[in-house]
Amino acid sequence: MQPRASLALAPTLARPRTTDPENTSTAAPDGATMLPIIEAHEVTKRYQLGRTSVEALRGVTMAVEAGEFVALMGPSGSGKSTLLQLLGGLDRPTSGRVVFEGRDISRLSDSKATRLRRERTGFVFQAFNLIPLLSVEENIALPFAIGGQPGTRRDWNDRVRQVIELVELQGKERHRPDQLSQGEQQRVAVARALVTRPSVLLADEPTGNLDYTNSGELLDALWRSCQEEGQTIVLVTHDARAAAYADRVLVIGDGRISDEIVLGRRADHSAAPLIARLAQIGL
Amino acid sequence: MAIDRLAWRTLAARPLRSLLTVVGVALGVGVLAASLTLGAALDAAIDRTVSTMVGRADLRVSAFLEPGLSPEAIGTIVETPGVLEAAAVIERRTFLASVPGSPAPDAVTVLGVDPLTYPSLHDLPIAAGSGLTDPDEPVALITESLAESDGYGLGSRLSVLGPGGPLGVRVVGIVPGAGPLPQVGRTVILPIDTARAALAISGATRVDLLLEPGSAEAVLASLAARMAEPYVLASPADLARSLRASAAAFEGMAALVAAVVLFVGAFLIVNTLSMTVGERAREVGLLRAAGATRGQASRFVLSGALLLGVSGSLAGVLAGGVLAVLLAAGVSSATGLPAVVTPVDLRSAAIAAAVGVAVTVMAAIEPALRAAQISPVEALRARIDLPHISRGRLGWIGLVFIVVGGLALLAWPPSVAPAGGDVQAALAVYLVLLAATLLSPFLLRPLARLLGLPLAVFVAVEERLARGSVGRDRSRAALTLGSLVVGLAMIVALGWSAQAARASAFAWLDDVVPGDELISSIRPIAADEGIVETLAAVPGVERVTPIGTFGLAYRGQRVDAAAIVGADFLADGRLTVLAGERAAALRALDEGGAAILPSAAATALGLGLDDTMRVATGRDQFLDLRVVAIVERSLPGGGGEAVLVGWPDAAASLGVAGADAFAVRIAPAALEPTRDAVRRTAATFALESNPIERVQGAVAEALARVFGVFDALAFVAVIIAALGIVNTLTMGVVERVREIGVLRAIGMTRVQVMRMVVVESTVLGVVGVVLGGATGLAVGAVLLGLGARFDGATGLPWPALGAAAILGLVLPALAALYPSLLAARVSIVRALRFE
Repeated sequence: MQPRASLALAPTLARPRTTDPENTSTAAPDGATMLPIIEAHEVTKRYQLGRTSVEALRGVTMAVEAGEFVALMGPSGSGKSTLLQLLGGLDRPTSGRVVFEGRDISRLSDSKATRLRRERTGFVFQAFNLIPLLSVEENIALPFAIGGQPGTRRDWNDRVRQVIELVELQGKERHRPDQLSQGEQQRVAVARALVTRPSVLLADEPTGNLDYTNSGELLDALWRSCQEEGQTIVLVTHDARAAAYADRVLVIGDGRISDEIVLGRRADHSAAPLIARLAQIGL
Repeated sequence: MAIDRLAWRTLAARPLRSLLTVVGVALGVGVLAASLTLGAALDAAIDRTVSTMVGRADLRVSAFLEPGLSPEAIGTIVETPGVLEAAAVIERRTFLASVPGSPAPDAVTVLGVDPLTYPSLHDLPIAAGSGLTDPDEPVALITESLAESDGYGLGSRLSVLGPGGPLGVRVVGIVPGAGPLPQVGRTVILPIDTARAALAISGATRVDLLLEPGSAEAVLASLAARMAEPYVLASPADLARSLRASAAAFEGMAALVAAVVLFVGAFLIVNTLSMTVGERAREVGLLRAAGATRGQASRFVLSGALLLGVSGSLAGVLAGGVLAVLLAAGVSSATGLPAVVTPVDLRSAAIAAAVGVAVTVMAAIEPALRAAQISPVEALRARIDLPHISRGRLGWIGLVFIVVGGLALLAWPPSVAPAGGDVQAALAVYLVLLAATLLSPFLLRPLARLLGLPLAVFVAVEERLARGSVGRDRSRAALTLGSLVVGLAMIVALGWSAQAARASAFAWLDDVVPGDELISSIRPIAADEGIVETLAAVPGVERVTPIGTFGLAYRGQRVDAAAIVGADFLADGRLTVLAGERAAALRALDEGGAAILPSAAATALGLGLDDTMRVATGRDQFLDLRVVAIVERSLPGGGGEAVLVGWPDAAASLGVAGADAFAVRIAPAALEPTRDAVRRTAATFALESNPIERVQGAVAEALARVFGVFDALAFVAVIIAALGIVNTLTMGVVERVREIGVLRAIGMTRVQVMRMVVVESTVLGVVGVVLGGATGLAVGAVLLGLGARFDGATGLPWPALGAAAILGLVLPALAALYPSLLAARVSIVRALRFE
């Protein structure tokens, strides 16, 4: 389906793009055509709950370009978390295709999907989901420990230090999760997701359990990774303030993408224009 | 009722855990029920045996000396005032002549009875044919068991071998089952005069008496005043006591193992109910918020426990019946009593079920109290942290198991209690196991860290996660690891006890038997029969030592004794002398007037070196034996180690007619051919020759049968421990669903997740093996030290430790299969939604 509206709010940093179900390649500002890093083509997802069938996604088509920060917004039960899970290979669509870096991941075997998650994606969840018995350092290094990552142990240690700096948790490397604030715990989760330099970071309501200050610190860390490391981020959120960090906002309603709001890359993360636009479309 | 229904639905919602708990309770109750049923069967067997042996007699007067009671002595007994009925009986072991060329059959026991007097005191039912009528007719009754094993029937001709020459008799009747001597079975019943002729006995070996009521004291006094020959008195109660004493050690050990299994079963119950409370804390809190009282919150837990306890106990009673039937043969073999087990012994079943339900409910009290303490506010938090519950639980575990120990003492077999030492040993064992259980959670982390190192080389991340996981809940670890430690400890301890008993028996035989072959006879062989000379003439034979076992009457009690040739023992280097001069002592035996005492007998009789042992040889006749040496071990006698005396005293003063064993030493150069020649020569005298190794093998086999029963019971404890591991690991997986989901989301494969759970179980197993091994050695030391059943320890029980290691590694790995599959099947999407 086609998005109903596309509104460029800050053309200075934004890289406008079109989303076409037949051709999801992206037109860069210089006119060159870039292949998106993730694409969804007419994706549906149906859950069977006893005798009842619930359709969480009803034919979603979208694309995310490398280095882009995309937010998925929508009311509860609209299907945004389901879409995120499909994009990251956590689950399989009922129909349609999810293409990750040019490869169809819709029907990957469990082991291949595991490998994709291990090597190419990073996840952050609303609940911080740290392993309580491991230290901050060990939690962050867990994807390396699980195996399959290239490089030496020294490279891994260097990278762990690097992401600890990125999320500003220096000095807390040996702390256990229960010795950290909630905001710090979530930043550990972000560091763990980023440590393997994934192609895409997928974050599901990462600020949902955080207060205003901690939310801000976390979103700053995400934005820095996007800005400084070129990290692609797909963020599911209810919060307009969080979505305002994104270059582009896809609004999902009733299992479909109902709107696309292009914000562009902005340093001030002001939520006001987005809130106004969301009000316009009744969200 | 609404609370009860909710509790039961909670159990139904966790079918696996509930089932595991019910099985755990069932196994614990089953072993207890089996142990009690076997105890009851043994008691019944003892009563039956006594009744069969003694019949309606009030008193049995037996000959003390080998030739038996003389006709004069029998007359004296029969004419004693107060005696209503008297039945003289002959009981001797002998052989039946075999068909030439066929192998010699096993020995039989000849029971000579007077057809006129015997029926007044004993029932002698006939299964086929007719009974005996005249005291001197050449006919016989045989037992069904002898008829079946040797192929005899009505009308068969038997040739009874004895000093009076072979005597032919015709079988006229078959006695049902094992007959009047149930411990023997292979019995030929002859008219008493026929038996006298066959066995060259003029009197009888005993007289059974029916007394006038209230005349027992007068009869005893009259006999003491009038009897000219040494005799032994026994009442049915004495016989029962003696039989109970022989079964007491077995019953005691079986009761101890059953208590331990129950102990382990209780672990599973406490663990399950605690897990349920932890898991259901939110629901309990919501119930409280909705107006449920603290009492109702407790009832929620207790009601579930009661259901589990009742279901498990009922299943356990059935399992116990099956187990008792399976173990009955081993018990009969171990105790020598024909234990007939009824699958459902109501009293045992009721006690076991009551104990099962009581232990389950007791185990539920702490979780129930904790449930009552959960506040609605606490329960409504996103995550309930209940570390204070874990801490409090450890103390409760200690209390519960002390009470279980008390219950076990109450249920202790009454026949064992007077022994004292067994109860002390049992208590000490119980305390060692309790200490190991309570210490295990504190040792778990450091040991897991150390013992996990080899695993970390291969599966670093799984080992790290698994290690952290096992120590997460200290009290749960105590219960899970504790049960494994206890089960494995019992395997090690019992294995060590068996090994020590075997080694002790082997060392004993090596130390005291001066020969490579042991020839045994069921009748005394006099020195003038020429057997020693014939055997000594076999080329390759270095020495033949005749040994005669008998009883000494010392201070009114029977003391096992053996007649030996001192010079032979000196030349052969047998006996380890603890006190006295070896050569002089052995020479003194051959000169007469001397005795060598085993240290156990010296202690029991209060005799020391150079003391005089005055033994009775007849009415007002005594023989003084000087204690010339005390040895570490001596030859085995009828019930214990024998006092050694020389042949001159034995033959001249103590009524020993001849040797019943010959130890044959063979030159090492020609051992095997000479052995064959010795066996052939022995066969010509209708004697059986066995290499000393076979005698040792028979001892090992007998011990293996006894310990096999205990091992089977201890194995049940390990099975319960494995169920506990399944339970704990499953709970661990359920609790960590979100964690597992995250691990899967960041790239952990299903195989890695499974490996993590298996490694967790393996770490538990390895720590269990180390702690169980150490605890088992401590328990074994208690059993060996305090039990006084085994005289001397041995090296470490490597085979038992090996068995425990295999069980401790294999069972946890198997136990991890289901939880690991469960973990691997965790849906990432659902796990991340999991609250």
